[in-house]
Amino acid sequence: MSPEIFYQTIVNGLFTGGIYALVSIGLTLIYGVLIIVNFAHGEFLMLGIYVAFWAYTIFELDPYLSIPLAVVLIGGLGALIQRGLIQRVLDAHPLNQIVLLVGVSTLLIGLVQFFFSAEPRSIHVPYETEVITLMGLRMSIPRLIAFFASMLISLSLYVFLRYTRTGKAIRAVSQSREAAKLMGINVNYIYMLTFGIGTAITAVGGALLAPNHRMIPTMGQAYSVIAFVVVVLGTMGNFVGAFLGGLIIGVVETFAGFFLGGDVKIIASMLIFILILLFRPSGLFGRKQT
Amino acid sequence: MSADVSNKITRNPRKSLWHSLFSTWDRTQITASFILVGLMAISPLFVDSPYFMGIIILAALYAFIGISWNIIAGFTGQLLIAHIIFLALGGYTTIVLLNTYRVSPWVGIFVGGLVAASAGIIIALITLRYGLKLDYFALFTIALLVALRTLFLKWEFVGGAVGMYLRLAKPSTAKMIFDSKPPYLYIVLALLTLGIVIQYLIYNSKMGKYFMAIREDEAAASALGVNTSRYKTLSVIIGATLAGIGGGFYVMYVTFIDPTGLFNLGVNVEIVMAGPIIGGLGSLSGPILGAFVNKPIAELIRGFLAEERSGITLIVYGLFLILSIMFMPRGLAGVFHSLYLKIKRPSKEEA
Amino acid sequence: MALLEVQNIAKRFGGLVAVNEFSLSLDRGEIVALIGPNGAGKTTAFNVIAGYYKADAGKVLFNGRDITNLRPDQICALGLVRTFQVVRPFRGLSVLENVMIGAYARTNNNHEALARAEEVLDFLGMSKLSDRVASGLPIAGRKRLEIARAVATDPQVLLLDETMAGLRPLETEEVIGMVRKLSERGIAIFLVEHVMKVVMSLAERIIVLHHGETIAQGIPSEVVRNPQVIDAYLGEANATS
Repeated sequence: MSPEIFYQTIVNGLFTGGIYALVSIGLTLIYGVLIIVNFAHGEFLMLGIYVAFWAYTIFELDPYLSIPLAVVLIGGLGALIQRGLIQRVLDAHPLNQIVLLVGVSTLLIGLVQFFFSAEPRSIHVPYETEVITLMGLRMSIPRLIAFFASMLISLSLYVFLRYTRTGKAIRAVSQSREAAKLMGINVNYIYMLTFGIGTAITAVGGALLAPNHRMIPTMGQAYSVIAFVVVVLGTMGNFVGAFLGGLIIGVVETFAGFFLGGDVKIIASMLIFILILLFRPSGLFGRKQT
Repeated sequence: MSADVSNKITRNPRKSLWHSLFSTWDRTQITASFILVGLMAISPLFVDSPYFMGIIILAALYAFIGISWNIIAGFTGQLLIAHIIFLALGGYTTIVLLNTYRVSPWVGIFVGGLVAASAGIIIALITLRYGLKLDYFALFTIALLVALRTLFLKWEFVGGAVGMYLRLAKPSTAKMIFDSKPPYLYIVLALLTLGIVIQYLIYNSKMGKYFMAIREDEAAASALGVNTSRYKTLSVIIGATLAGIGGGFYVMYVTFIDPTGLFNLGVNVEIVMAGPIIGGLGSLSGPILGAFVNKPIAELIRGFLAEERSGITLIVYGLFLILSIMFMPRGLAGVFHSLYLKIKRPSKEEA
Repeated sequence: MALLEVQNIAKRFGGLVAVNEFSLSLDRGEIVALIGPNGAGKTTAFNVIAGYYKADAGKVLFNGRDITNLRPDQICALGLVRTFQVVRPFRGLSVLENVMIGAYARTNNNHEALARAEEVLDFLGMSKLSDRVASGLPIAGRKRLEIARAVATDPQVLLLDETMAGLRPLETEEVIGMVRKLSERGIAIFLVEHVMKVVMSLAERIIVLHHGETIAQGIPSEVVRNPQVIDAYLGEANATS
């Protein structure tokens, strides 16, 4: 592997990883606060990309401009789902939680398939094939935009969680539900808000992917699986872990794609996943399990 | 879960058959299950359409697969989500044995069961050795599903992405290939009967009670002498074997298999999970009730919307799961159980 | 050699020594209590004996056999069974089914298990609760179920972990009665307890633990007058007042 290809692969990997980071941050945030693994998580990315598709087809809205739309629509949907459904099973047997989320996932895929059909869709923007060459490395404009957007959004969310009142309330709940209640924090509202943020940020990831990307209703499932890997790798509930883990997995996967071929590259992530689950389930940032 | 052990002595000897069939909720469930099987068995007498016969056959198969999952997830409480792995492995084994090695499917489906059982042992051992519980266990099985799908997509020996079609042959009993539906019906009903019996035997045995103890509280079970590792492994082996056999039948019936179609979470929901969840996970009749409610309704709704809008099935299954968990956590069997108790003691309204 | 011999077990958590050089011997029919102020290490010692914590030092011998690092289910099979401080009933199962699980420790036969479970429930005066679902029982019922389940495993030694916590006086009396009956049946009983009244009425011997060390051992009347013991408890009282 020549140096140019090596660096090119890293760049491509980072671009992919940026989206993975967004999706995984959403998942880890939800887990950290609600202590629930969102088995329907990838579907919210799928919804985000279909919002972009719909906005583009109906309003000729540039996909990047549909990001706020995705945030509002899908974040709102997520909040509703949390309030109406997930809230009821927060203390139930994990099997019930998993089944409920699998049901939500199935329903969402079915709805999208019903309205948009299972046929692959795509939207094409005029600048989608434009490429910038920096230091000998080719970067596609849409992917470059997506990468910077995901960095910006991750940073914004980090700042939000770290320094704003609501952000601190969210972190408080993730550390101790009871203590947060005693502090006067409306925990149920935080649950709803967090789930909404988590799904919104994932949907943004989807919208960022929209230019020239093949869209099918089941596309979210692969991202769910990647998000699981990243979140476990980066320690469940750990924001920075999810961010770094997303980038790492993006790079690893792109290298795997180079050596093994595009359709099998997922196996690299699966191997990593299985290895982590077996040997370090607490993730890179977690404590060793007693 | 039965909480009414009835030792009522029948006053009227003529009622003793009724008594033995319906005196406890568990017996009622078994009786109802066999009545349903019996009805299905005579259905060719009044059902002509191959389409409806096909629905019955698949419903019965789903019930059988549902029972296999019920033993693992319902009785023992293990979050083995990607159960379809076992069905797929069984199916692939059967079709490869038939197509490539001319092994009769009558043997093949049981070899498929063995292959699935082996996978079950491996999964059980790994997850036990590394202490994977709850969410991690569920995620592990999903990762395996994805990994296996990728492997099978690339593995030319089993057809790769294209999959495998049943080798063309004249209908013959020896090859389990028939030109009409009823023979398939009887095979699947035989399997279902086997499943009902095995499930009941387990339920009433020490092993079954130990399974349920593990589900309710593993630490307490261990303190009371239950070797939890051994019994968890056993439950996976039994469930996997049955699912593998079911997979063998499945491939002989639909005559085709491919990785994307079978190593597929949506299909997993449809075939494995929806039935027992709606019917009542952990109960004796749940998987059967659920499958025979599920499949026909899904087909009916799909039939109504004449244009092939494929999302409908998914919407229906998704709603089924959601509504079941929210409003009927004990499933249809739970609803009928409450009804049964009311009928038995109409005077005792206060529990 | 006694039925249960605990020889100088120690347990550390990181730098903290929770239990140090703890010894105990228990024979058929005896009732021995372990007491001590909060944080003394009682539960830790209990969990080491019962097989839930790995001992860092020392041995636990049962009928002469070293059981120090056996699994809980293996220990139960040998005849030593424990209850849990925070009760752990099999919530979805009936009382009878709960006790049957215990009974299956000694038999593979359904009828035998059922008979044994019914016998235990009858012996402990709980027969009319047989068909109740465990999750529907009040706390006192669940505590009695916890004991009944353990007894169904036909133990030689019963380890009771703060069984009386949270019970009203009348309920406490009932459970004391149960424990006495079991002792009369020949089961050796080791109990960790906080409620002094229970300890005084049941125990033949008392061991007092403080900061992981054994500060007194003997018959109740002596232990209670032991100045070190009084200090330990008063010290705690002073700290909290």
